[in-house]
Amino acid sequence: MATTAVTSAEIASEAPRSDFGRVLAQRERRFAAALLAPAFLALLATTTFPLLFLVYTSAFRMDLAMPFTNGFVGFENYQVLLSDERFWTSLLVSLVYTGSTVALQVIIGLALALLVMDMKRGQGWFRVIAILPVVLSPAVVGMIWRTFMLAPEFGIVDFLAINAGLGSKNWLGDPTLAMVSVIAIHTWQWTPFAFMVLLASLASLPEDIYEAARLDRASAWQRFRRITLPLLRPAIVMVIIMRTMVALTAFAAIFTVTAGGPGTATEILNLYAYRKSFTELSIGYGSALAVALLIVTIIISGILFAMRRAK
Amino acid sequence: MSGQGQVSFRNIVKMHGEFAALKGVNFDIKPGEFFALLGPSGSGKSTTLRILAGLDAPTAGRVLIDDKDVTSTDARDRDIAMVFQSYALYPHMTVAENIAFPLEMAKLPKAEIAPAVKDAARKVKIDHLLDRKPGQLSGGQQQRCALARAIVRKARLFLLDEPLSNLDAKLRLETRAELKKLQRSLGVTAVYVTHDQEEAMTLADRMAVFMSGEIQQVGTPAEVFARPNSIDIAGFIGNPPMNLVPARYVDGDVIIAGHRLKTTTTTAGERDVVAGLRPGALRMTEGGLGARVDLIEDLGDTAALDLDCAGTMIRMRVADGNIPGEGDTISITARPQDIHLFDPATRMRL
Repeated sequence: MATTAVTSAEIASEAPRSDFGRVLAQRERRFAAALLAPAFLALLATTTFPLLFLVYTSAFRMDLAMPFTNGFVGFENYQVLLSDERFWTSLLVSLVYTGSTVALQVIIGLALALLVMDMKRGQGWFRVIAILPVVLSPAVVGMIWRTFMLAPEFGIVDFLAINAGLGSKNWLGDPTLAMVSVIAIHTWQWTPFAFMVLLASLASLPEDIYEAARLDRASAWQRFRRITLPLLRPAIVMVIIMRTMVALTAFAAIFTVTAGGPGTATEILNLYAYRKSFTELSIGYGSALAVALLIVTIIISGILFAMRRAK
Repeated sequence: MSGQGQVSFRNIVKMHGEFAALKGVNFDIKPGEFFALLGPSGSGKSTTLRILAGLDAPTAGRVLIDDKDVTSTDARDRDIAMVFQSYALYPHMTVAENIAFPLEMAKLPKAEIAPAVKDAARKVKIDHLLDRKPGQLSGGQQQRCALARAIVRKARLFLLDEPLSNLDAKLRLETRAELKKLQRSLGVTAVYVTHDQEEAMTLADRMAVFMSGEIQQVGTPAEVFARPNSIDIAGFIGNPPMNLVPARYVDGDVIIAGHRLKTTTTTAGERDVVAGLRPGALRMTEGGLGARVDLIEDLGDTAALDLDCAGTMIRMRVADGNIPGEGDTISITARPQDIHLFDPATRMRL
């Protein structure tokens, strides 16, 4: 009898308390939503809306030079795009540019990180100096390279080439050399990022497992292959993902150095979309190109993320 | 066994800048021996092990393994297996891959690796965990995995750096016994670093006791226990530790707290000494040294008494059923051969 009485009393007191709790939780959620709203709206206005507007624009013919031809065209821009040889060339240039710069950044960055890890003194200085290119604006980097480094006869690189007996080269005028140059510039600027991330990751690896590996008779190369690389894998994949997304949408450095030239030798997809929109003033078709770039970026990062999860 | 496993240290000195971690260490380990390096933290025992493994280079002196000078030989080429205090398992590999790693590095054919891994895992009872990663194992299981990785290769020397210190008390006792059996069955030379004198006493065939960068005594646990070389070792070995009380030596007798006791030690004339009395060597008797019982710690089958002998604190261990009450006054003595005398200036045994 006594126990039943206690139980029912408990139930009676519990019910209103949980009701009260629910009201509180609801209020808390509403307050949280109110706090989030400004940021959420700002984000919508500055990212989602322009993106949707871009997709919308790509369905129109919008030619500022010939406004009388403007109007809704549906998928026509995309049909043109698929048979546009310059689109395919610029896509290929984008992929070559991205693939080679990301690969170079990871390889050079990892090599530097391994080297600096073994430095007993001056590690701090090395880090400070190494990070400098990253903090520069890509446009500034492009200007520095075009004038100070690559200018014929007077640029440092050309000066070194002459002294090395290679002779003066037209670094930005020759199609192949121009591509090599823009790849080198991007790699120069962004390798420190890969270097810093990989160095931090390397520094967090426990030292004792390397001692264990030495006693297990692993050579330096085997220690690198069997222990360092697998343990750095998450960091390397992360660097690849982040750098790939940035390289696919690179713009300022190439724009200031070659502006896509000579001809279309260094015209990545991003630059082609820009040229179409703002040089040729064909906004509708430029939007379609930008959407194509967006799709390519999404597909590639989707593949990279899938690889990251797959392990 | 790919070798004999005989070790000699000749005047090994290790400097860290101005600080001498090892001040000229000499010892020999016989093949097949279980040899413990015992000492408090910072005494140089781990440094000694690292120099033996080849992970650190000595500042001076020579290391010989099987009569070959290996002082400048890399750790890779010394044919030594080691269990680290932190276990140092490869976190990205499964237990099986961890154990297989030394064999793969030795370029053993795949067909031989799998059975060897199974065999080693079975010896340390982790053959059901082969597919797990170290992060999914308990501390004790990780420790066994590290052991398996060390024994799988059949190296000539087996080094253990405080392998039990990260285990809980019960597991430590179990593993201690298993470790001894394992070493016996493998017949391998083992060098064991520990700061726990009980571990060293129970495991070791012989041990070296380190004090501030020097070896103060080498011997079997029984020898070191029965005849500690110095005040520091006397205070370090044995639980509860030896009573070390100021006393005066007069013609074969020693005067402690005003009471005269016979000793077997003979030294010239009359002098101040430190007398060492093991708690378990003290006896209650008539007409001995008077002492008041301050505190009793009942340990079940024995009890530890804190005694006040005219201002000098002495601990005594008595068997159950023979325990006086707190506040009682009793009279104690020790046999002449159980009284250790030390020089208070040099801190060495007289």
